[in-house]
Order: sequence, then structure tokens, then C-alpha cells
Amino acid sequence: MKVLVAEDDPDIQVILKMVLTRLGKCDVSITFQGDQVFPMAKADPPGLILLDVMLPEMSGFDICKALKADPETRSIPVIFLTARSMPAEIQEAMALGANGYLAKPFDPMTLISQINEILMPLGISLGA
Amino acid sequence: MENTPPSFDSILNATVGMLRTTWKTQVCLFLQADDGGLLRVRAADGIPFDQLSSLSVAPEGPLARCFSRNEVIELDDSASTGALAACLKPHPTKDEKFILAPVSGETRVLGILVLGPFSKKEKHLPQEAELRSAGALCAVLSAHCRLYQWMANFMPQLNQDLRTPLTAVQGSIGMVLGGMFGQVGSDVKEMLEMAQKGCERTVRAIEEYINTQNPK
Repeated sequence: MKVLVAEDDPDIQVILKMVLTRLGKCDVSITFQGDQVFPMAKADPPGLILLDVMLPEMSGFDICKALKADPETRSIPVIFLTARSMPAEIQEAMALGANGYLAKPFDPMTLISQINEILMPLGISLGA
Repeated sequence: MENTPPSFDSILNATVGMLRTTWKTQVCLFLQADDGGLLRVRAADGIPFDQLSSLSVAPEGPLARCFSRNEVIELDDSASTGALAACLKPHPTKDEKFILAPVSGETRVLGILVLGPFSKKEKHLPQEAELRSAGALCAVLSAHCRLYQWMANFMPQLNQDLRTPLTAVQGSIGMVLGGMFGQVGSDVKEMLEMAQKGCERTVRAIEEYINTQNPK
């Protein structure tokens, strides 16, 4: 599955790419800039978007809002993977239509199963 | 329906309302000094707030005496207060005066409590202790408000700034311990497990701080 990751921390980019590629068997695209996510998703729709909240140029919340407002990208599952894990922030993300919210730090060995748990109602999974 | 606590603004407004009732006046204002030294309306009762929204008062004249010297002032010359006079215009007459009481924090004056109008015949300086107590009440609430606002901004940032580097540390350790790069020796494994437990303890500590700020 194609996964688009929006993450601005280079160390976490490396970890996510390794986990998603090796354990999730995904084809991973990564961007560190918020305003790149929506055009990338429009140009080549991924099967899943993993979004950080604090990103340069455009916040994860604004990206999610834009994705869910566009008929072409509305159905792409969005999971927030972020250190912004205050209760109000989680509520805001879910109200914007995100499919799930995972807090950093995460355990790389269980990340795929946590993502699959969120994706289960949609009938899709990583690592297959 | 969710039971949300009142905001500090509403608490401060309720407090000046209570002070107005206690002192039997038409107006009670709490002017708070901002970082630039201007006095701005922080809470008010007895005057519609839209009348006050643009009000800021340079601490000059009687206001300066109250603010800089921590004095309770009986103000019977409304013209000398500039913008404050314009704001209070509907109320004072020739025979009326306002009382200015300093709102004193622990180390400095935070603002001024304005009460009035009173008859010029009334003497309020003998009640100075009570006026200062009214100011102190606003000072305590104002300090709580500032602390609360600082916490509301600081905690999400602290949460993010601690969790982000921990993600790289815990992620790297987790991948090595998970065998993504092959098996590691038992000594190395023991050391990495200790490091991982340290990360987990730090995450639990962060969560406890957050839960303290957001009690369920």
C-alpha cells in the first residue's frame, strides 16, 4: 500500500520509513512540509496518510481539513501520529474527520498493529 | 451537557460586580497594567463593555499616584483622567468623585480599582484598609489568571518538546530490541532494556503532569 507520511523530524522520518517499509510492506513517500501534503495526495492518492500536527507552512489540522473537504481526497484514511496529545488536541483532530490518533513516542514494533486496528473498520490493513 | 468551569474573565467581572454592590456604586472597574505600562480595562461592572473596549489609560496624574506610589486616591477632578473621564462621562457630576484603590501584588502594583461615583461629602480614606482589600482580591484573581494562561500555553509545548526527541530514542531502541537489525547480545539487550524503561518512565511522568492540568 502507498503511505504518505508528513513528518518534519528527520530522525523520526528514518524510523517511520524503516518500520512502514520493512514491517508494513508499504511504499512510503515522506514530506516534511505541511503545504506539500494536499498536492501530493491529489497527484498520487495514497492508501493512508500519517500526519504530524506541527509542520512547517501548514498544520496537520489544516491539512486534514483540506483533505476531508475535497471529494477526491475525502476517502483517504488519515491518522495523526503526533506529540501534540493534549485531550483538546485529540478531540480537535477527531472532529476534523481523522480516522485515528496515535501519540508519540510510539513503539515501532507495535505501530503497524496499532495502525491496522484503526483501519480495521475500513477493511484495509498494512503488512499483508 | 458538559459542566465547564467559568473563565477567569467571568470570575473577575463577577468580582467587580460584587465589589460594586458592596460599595453601593454605579461603576466598578479593574484597570490592569499591560506590559507597555498602559492601564487597560480588565474587568468592569456598571458600564456596557462596548463603551470600554478601546479604553487604555496612560498612568499620569492621579492614576500615576495611585499606581506608582500605591496610594488610595479620592478623585474629584474627572477631567484630569483623560480617557478614563471620557469613559465615565455619563456618571460623574460636579458633586461626585471616584475612588482609585491600588491593586497590589506581592512585589508591585498590578493595576487600579476604580469605584464610584460617590458624593464628595463622603469620606473614604478612613476606609483605606477595606479599599486595599478589595484591590488585593482582584490582584489574587489576576495572578491566578496569568498563571492559568501561562500553563495553558506552556503544557502543550512542553508535551511536544519532550515527546518528539523521545520518539527517536524509543523508536531506535525498540527497533534494535525488536530484532530488525539481527539479534543482539544479552549484555547489550539488558542495557537497551534499561534505556527503554527510562523512556517509558519519562512518558508516564509527562502524562501525569498533563492529567494534573486536565483532571477528568
